[in-house]
Amino acid sequence: MFEEALIRRGHCHVLGDNIPLDEGIMPFSFAINRITDPVQLIPHLFCGVDPTLAEKIKEGDFILAGKNFASGKAHMQGFIAMASLGLSVLCETMPYKAHRGAIAKGVAILTGCVNLSSFAQDGDDIEVNFLDGIIQNHTQSTRMQAPALSPILSKLVRVGGLQSALKLHIELHPEMKLPRLESQA
Amino acid sequence: MRRAQTSVQKMLAHASGLQSVQVGEIVYPTPQWVILHDGYVEIAHKELSEMGYARVAHPERVMFVTDHEVAYSTQRALLRGQTIRKVAKDWQVGAFFDAGRAGHGHLHPMEMGLIKPGMFLFAYDMHATNFGAVGALAIPVSSEITSVLATGSVWVKVPSTIRVNLKGQWREGSHPRDLGFLLAQGLSKSTWGVAGDYRLIEFAGEALNTMPLSSKVALCNSITEIGVASVLFPPHDAPYDCLSDQEAEFEAVLDFDLSSIEPQLALPGGPDLASPVTKALGTPVQHAFIGACGSGMYEDFVDAAALLKGHQIHSGVRMFVVPGTVETQKRLANDGVLQLFMDAGAMVLPPGCGPCAGGMMAPLGSGETSISTAATNHSGRFGPKDSLAYLGSPLTVVASAIRGEITDPRSLEMAHV
Repeated sequence: MFEEALIRRGHCHVLGDNIPLDEGIMPFSFAINRITDPVQLIPHLFCGVDPTLAEKIKEGDFILAGKNFASGKAHMQGFIAMASLGLSVLCETMPYKAHRGAIAKGVAILTGCVNLSSFAQDGDDIEVNFLDGIIQNHTQSTRMQAPALSPILSKLVRVGGLQSALKLHIELHPEMKLPRLESQA
Repeated sequence: MRRAQTSVQKMLAHASGLQSVQVGEIVYPTPQWVILHDGYVEIAHKELSEMGYARVAHPERVMFVTDHEVAYSTQRALLRGQTIRKVAKDWQVGAFFDAGRAGHGHLHPMEMGLIKPGMFLFAYDMHATNFGAVGALAIPVSSEITSVLATGSVWVKVPSTIRVNLKGQWREGSHPRDLGFLLAQGLSKSTWGVAGDYRLIEFAGEALNTMPLSSKVALCNSITEIGVASVLFPPHDAPYDCLSDQEAEFEAVLDFDLSSIEPQLALPGGPDLASPVTKALGTPVQHAFIGACGSGMYEDFVDAAALLKGHQIHSGVRMFVVPGTVETQKRLANDGVLQLFMDAGAMVLPPGCGPCAGGMMAPLGSGETSISTAATNHSGRFGPKDSLAYLGSPLTVVASAIRGEITDPRSLEMAHV
């Protein structure tokens, strides 16, 4: 998990603009009931866009979206399911809080990808290098350049998100496991 | 040649130990304060403890404030208070303001001089953007505050800046919250061709020269909920140069004449649902309050008291006054302003968030309508989902509480308190 590669290849699912987090990516009921178990969440992924999509999505696939992906209140249930499946996201724009939340859950994302709906179709075999932003469509033998994922965010995604990063941090700084002595104040 | 920079670029560069930063760049800035309120200390402590953390990275920078549930209304809140005291001791945090000791954590640190121009800080709560009123840059990070506690920082993307130039003077009956609601609406709907999402909103212009801190706070606060990165007033008198360069690149520049601003409401649903107060005149209200982090300063109450003098709160309205801080409450008491509110039939609550913190104190009832200066009015904010919460300036709120219905403050004569 800590060494998850950021050069990935898989099949893509092409969605449109303005896919909301609530009711688009995941039913709102899971957020309000604070359900965070990916096993419960995965069967409902993207059911607001296409009720059959969750069955078609395979581990390691790519979600290609347009503008304003994951809009609305930044509930994390959709990203928990996506991270668990190792899905990656390419999109043109997404709200900052959603972007931040997805990275915190360890979802690999490239924003600033324009005209994805003409670049790829559902099921195309694509390869993405998140470190340099090069996207190749092996089905159509085309490629495009997107802004790369920054080195800092790449590192966070590579270790599996914020929680994993904090677990790694304490292993590297074992003194944090001990209470601070008054004399250190 | 050195590239021109905005304030936020200079402040993030300074906090990150860099000469300059570019918009969109990701940095790890070192904060001078890390602020958590009583609603999140227990959760952050539990999360870090479960991972094995027995201490935080820089406890001297950590500040705990108590404003969400001040006068414990449940046993659960009382136990939470005990836990917070223990965590403050165990982690040896640099500043701990317990219940009743200071007041609202988005206000008292400025009053006490703990937050200064040019400072950079992280906070759990989004309304820490208030600190932009004194020229400090506060980046709210919500639950990622645990990362700051554990490691000393968390990543920040350098935002682009929208500059908002203000000129002119308020007309009688108008108030900074009115402009705040209009700005929130325009930035939320991209009315001026630019969105508010993760933008730094920087105020500038001649109107700032005579603007009290309370007005700056009201402006910072009212536009926060739409998802701005933060808000800044020019950090004059900072210990390093962090004013925007004249040639700095702004994503947009907006100009407003304060004299053109009419009293507004934020309709139930969010602070960005601005509407002229005249559109909802006569709507009956049963609950009203002045206070919370956007309108809890001395001037907010004095201005409202000037309208209230000579009137009574309507018999069908429960009116609450929530001074933001203990210092503000003492000053209002000394100056007879609280007396005026109490004589008119209003109730005074302890300094803090008041009903705005989820209606844990003085809630709104099912089917009731409220008008207040709260920070937000999303469905269910102060009570059941079938209650309605309007927002207005302190002037509009007190005028409406007097009449028992939404009222244009210009229809009441202002006295001198």
